[in-house]
Amino acid sequence: MTEQKIKRVVVAGGGTAGWVAATALVRHLGPLLDITLVESEDIGTVGVGESTVPTMISFHRFMGIDEQDFMRASQATFKLGIEFKNWARDGDRYIHAFGKIGKRPTWMADFHHFWLEARERGFGGSLNDYCAELIAGEANKFFTGEQKPLNYAYHLDAYRYVRFLRSLAEPAGVKRIEGKIQSVEQDPESGHVKALVLETGARVEGDLFLDCTGFRALLIEGTLKTGFDDWGRWITTNSAVAVQTTSPHPPIPYTSAIAHKAGWQWRIPLQKRVGAGLVFCNEFMSDDEARAKLLADVAGEPVVEPWLLRFKTGARKKAWNKNVVSLGLAGGFIEPLESTSIHLMQVAVTRLIQDFPFNGCDDALINHFNAKSRKEFEGIRDFIILHYHQTERNDSPFWDRARTMDIPDSLKERMALFRENALTYHTLDDLFEIDSWVQVLRGQRMEPRGYHMLARMMPDAELRKALDDMRANVAGVVSKLPSHPDFLQRYCPADDI
Amino acid sequence: MNGKSVKRVVIAGGGTAGWVAAAALIKQLGPLIEITLVESDEIGTVGVGESTIPTARTFHNILGIYEQDFVKATTATFKVGIEFENWRKPGDRYFHAFGSVGKSVWMADFQHFWLEAVRQGFGGDYVDYSLEAQAAKANRFATHEGAPIAYAYHLDATAYAKFLRRLAEPAGVKRIEGKIQTVVQNPESGFVEALELESGARIEGDLFLDCTGFRALLAEQTLKTGFEDWSQWLLNDAAFAVQTESQGPLVPYTRAIAHDAGWRWRIPLQRRMGNGFVFSTDYLSPDEAKSRFIDALESKPLFDPRLLRFKAGMRKKSWNKNVIAIGLASGFVEPLESTSIHAIMIAVTRLIQNFPFDGIADAVVERFNALSRREAEHIRDFIILHYKLTERDDSSYWRRCRDMEIPASLAERIALFREAGLASQANDELFRSDSWIMVMLGQGIFPRSYHHAARMMEPEQLQQALTDLKARIAHELGQLPDHGAFVASYAPAED
Repeated sequence: MTEQKIKRVVVAGGGTAGWVAATALVRHLGPLLDITLVESEDIGTVGVGESTVPTMISFHRFMGIDEQDFMRASQATFKLGIEFKNWARDGDRYIHAFGKIGKRPTWMADFHHFWLEARERGFGGSLNDYCAELIAGEANKFFTGEQKPLNYAYHLDAYRYVRFLRSLAEPAGVKRIEGKIQSVEQDPESGHVKALVLETGARVEGDLFLDCTGFRALLIEGTLKTGFDDWGRWITTNSAVAVQTTSPHPPIPYTSAIAHKAGWQWRIPLQKRVGAGLVFCNEFMSDDEARAKLLADVAGEPVVEPWLLRFKTGARKKAWNKNVVSLGLAGGFIEPLESTSIHLMQVAVTRLIQDFPFNGCDDALINHFNAKSRKEFEGIRDFIILHYHQTERNDSPFWDRARTMDIPDSLKERMALFRENALTYHTLDDLFEIDSWVQVLRGQRMEPRGYHMLARMMPDAELRKALDDMRANVAGVVSKLPSHPDFLQRYCPADDI
Repeated sequence: MNGKSVKRVVIAGGGTAGWVAAAALIKQLGPLIEITLVESDEIGTVGVGESTIPTARTFHNILGIYEQDFVKATTATFKVGIEFENWRKPGDRYFHAFGSVGKSVWMADFQHFWLEAVRQGFGGDYVDYSLEAQAAKANRFATHEGAPIAYAYHLDATAYAKFLRRLAEPAGVKRIEGKIQTVVQNPESGFVEALELESGARIEGDLFLDCTGFRALLAEQTLKTGFEDWSQWLLNDAAFAVQTESQGPLVPYTRAIAHDAGWRWRIPLQRRMGNGFVFSTDYLSPDEAKSRFIDALESKPLFDPRLLRFKAGMRKKSWNKNVIAIGLASGFVEPLESTSIHAIMIAVTRLIQNFPFDGIADAVVERFNALSRREAEHIRDFIILHYKLTERDDSSYWRRCRDMEIPASLAERIALFREAGLASQANDELFRSDSWIMVMLGQGIFPRSYHHAARMMEPEQLQQALTDLKARIAHELGQLPDHGAFVASYAPAED
């Protein structure tokens, strides 16, 4: 085996998925591949203000992207978590923060069991006080550098992020072709895609095609008819109106997710403006109503006309089919409640690089890739469903349905484990770790009936001191941090263009 | 949820499973529960020389066991891997070492770099990049705080159970001598309420651990949990075991030597050698097996070989009602990769982490069982691999192994390695990709393709990187004394 069978990679579609893939591939496998990206300036990207999760930091590090350059170019701010308002009950508020809650004193039981025991004995305070990211977020403070006292992610302007990636990828050797795809040429026998034919008449041949064409899924669905698993029965929101506004106040380091009677709204603070949107189910709210509510609720002045998006939640039956790998929205969609879309692209591209089919698209490889993708998607899906299902809201048919619907067994099992024994778990394929599940389960007002009794063996004074020390430690870390807006101004002020 | 809170834990059966469970539970949850262990001196344990894997060390740390005490008490020796002889074909041998091989980068694991080096003509053997395999070859070993070498133990299982008993009893485990006559169930729920002994004593409990070995007295005889048979993939159903006098230098590895209807083991302890002869009675009668076993022994047997019968497979539920099966009661996969003690330890650890203080909740039981099953199936697949990937054509036994259908999970793994040089790994898998690679290469699979990351390096650069790795191993090897000498100075067996 000496010959390399797959050399020409064609990325169909720009947008975040396309340019993330092109940049990562050229940076890591550049000398081995010819990479061409086809996009049309006539086709807009979905890009609004986007919110991410902490895995983006390591992805950028692998790509050799400088954090300050990236942040200046994409008007980015830091993100320490998500604020959820009105989810379990109208008027409720909780934060799902990145980072660790407390410190587990033993391998045998997670921290929250110790906190539950302390609460039973009447001390220990709020679980929030054990999480530096949460307290820093509430105080609008932030710092990063050589020392990273906090776990974080970013809010970024997706359109500018794409432009930034393109400025790295093109000089590194990605060939960009402007044009609309008119038809997709398949091998009559194998069905593999051979080339894209553009409206200009140009023909772009390839060995491997990445479908980054968004909801249209031009190659994976339009051409290959791969099929789609619809998860709309669990996640019933199917529309969004999005807008950008001026910033009414200095940026805060968290995303807001504010539930309303037929969905929820997001607020994503960027350096110079705010991304806002309203997600809804159009069975219960009309497009006009949604638009009006969004405009009535935003704090800043709209700087663009609101635009409407329709979507369907679910995943492509195979993320990789024949010689087409779908990335981003072409591969599947889960609403942005936990800011997972860019993460899913990055993890798929990383895996593509690790499992690159140099010797051809073999079934074993494809099945392996698809099984992993599916697990990632399902883990996130379950986490999102939890927010809708574990609620006490009964003020609208939307919430009544969410509260009473049947849910996937995998989630049922997780919820029962926490309800009965305050147990939760994390496997390698899960994005969300134990502390994330604990924060959301508790934020959604689930009270465990039992918990691990290990802490029972600790005398009051010992347990109290352990917890007091942890809280003092968190308060100490946060007290030393500068304000988030000041830090941004110093570290990575947005470029003016 | 069975609302009854759990305070009284009854362990049915001593042996390795029973005493591992007792020692760990008392150490971790002592003040919260009462632990009683029932065993009879008249019922022997299966215990012969036993071989372990590195997870035993973590478990011992958790129990606060001091390594030297343990090694002395169990006449243990150190183990850095297993040597497989005659598996791919008669006369062939390969080594499955603990630890990791070479150095991986995030984009591609080490084997892809090595495969490219092999193509360019300078890769050498895969295990040239394993410190453990080289230590085995040189018969060297030493350990100390922070030692770079991965290892486990060979131990005397009977002595090990005694050693654990000496920890557990003073800490508060109540041991009752006696044979179990009846198991009393609640007529409505079917939950076990008590064990009645031949002596007439009655031992009540809230949670019962079935450590009664193959008999599975509670899990099967009482609760009829059911058994999933894996013998279509794992043909062996019998073994002879015997101890012999020590002979030759003390090697730091187990030997697994295939014969034409199974395999035999050699497990070196400090003062003698554990030997076993595993076979399928479809292909070899016990009499014939015994005489071939005795002929193959390299030194004098200390007693007449004992025959064990078994069936590969697992209990349908490890945890059923208020009974948790641990050890052989929960299932059996032959000791080819030394996983039995590990399976006990991991089950006990999981029980401690998920202990049902407030009553037995279905969700906890289901998760416990799902994880137990995943682990057992993972080990099963890894064992089947050794039989399926063979080129042996010299007996009907091996032809059947070679031609058998295998579980889809395993077929996918083999295909992935053969086609793309990938050895996938999930975090709850016991055998890491390095283990799979050593065994797959050893059994004769050579990948058709691999990651081309190394093609982006200049040949000199790749060669230098591999030379550096080998030099570091040579350096570390140079620091190590002879294994036998190290054992004698570090933790010689007690008299």
